[in-house]
Amino acid sequence: MTAPTSPSAPPLPQIAAALGTGALMTLMLLCNSAMAAAAGPLFASLTAHGVGTVFAAILLLWLRGRGSRAGLPRGRAPLWAYLGGLSGALTVVATSWTANTPLALTGTLALGLAGQVVLALVFDLTGAMGLVRRRPAGSEILAIGLICAGAALVILARRTGA
Amino acid sequence: MTAAILLALAAGMLVTLSRQINGRLARDSSAMGSSFWNHLVGFAALALCAVMAGSVWPAGAAQAPPHAWIGGAIGVIFVAGGSWLIPRLGAALTGGLLIAGQMLSGVALDVIRGEGGAPLLQGAGVALILAGVVLARRR
Repeated sequence: MTAPTSPSAPPLPQIAAALGTGALMTLMLLCNSAMAAAAGPLFASLTAHGVGTVFAAILLLWLRGRGSRAGLPRGRAPLWAYLGGLSGALTVVATSWTANTPLALTGTLALGLAGQVVLALVFDLTGAMGLVRRRPAGSEILAIGLICAGAALVILARRTGA
Repeated sequence: MTAAILLALAAGMLVTLSRQINGRLARDSSAMGSSFWNHLVGFAALALCAVMAGSVWPAGAAQAPPHAWIGGAIGVIFVAGGSWLIPRLGAALTGGLLIAGQMLSGVALDVIRGEGGAPLLQGAGVALILAGVVLARRR
């Protein structure tokens, strides 16, 4: 086993891309919760995945038409690598259940943040699923801690104000 | 209650698990390829759930506003973005920065729509998140 790599400071464009991608989540939730309000969480997630499948296929064909190799295999991924969507589908089932317990949406979101970050740290340290093994720098862990604490306050503020 | 807490934690872990698996698939295909498979497999699983629940087309579906239908297209970019970021930033920083982007934009949206919560708490939260983002640039 090779020693975990200690990463260098990430370039600004990558940080900006991550923040922008995170902002897409807000827009996605806005749309999906409108569907959930009209037709329930299961149907909302089902249509989101259906529409997403079609949209991703169109984008892949478009990329390929432009000569990109996106979507063409570079190597052979194991079969389980195709099952990320199962995990995503399970998330919907789990959160729509916990949101109706005394945890409510606030507790579900806050605990979800904790679960996400803790497992991600374990994945980084172990190089799970064949991704790069890396030991997050101290400043990186502090940064993530600050973000989580801030996120918890924002989630709490929403409930207090509502 | 304990069961609910464990399940809420597990739901968060499933998000990370999904991103890690998709990142692995992207290594051998592409970020957009992994997003395609993520949505296709998720759709198949949820379609099975919907059939078992006997609710393939709920009554309210036809009344949903037009924007309710485009969340999936946004999700495609979100998943592809995660697959692109994870080998570059690692799982933890990817997750942390995605949360930061989601929270900051969420607060912006709340303010625009005049649906703010407790302003002091909200402001403190935004300040902590921004400090975290700045610190992520430091080594």
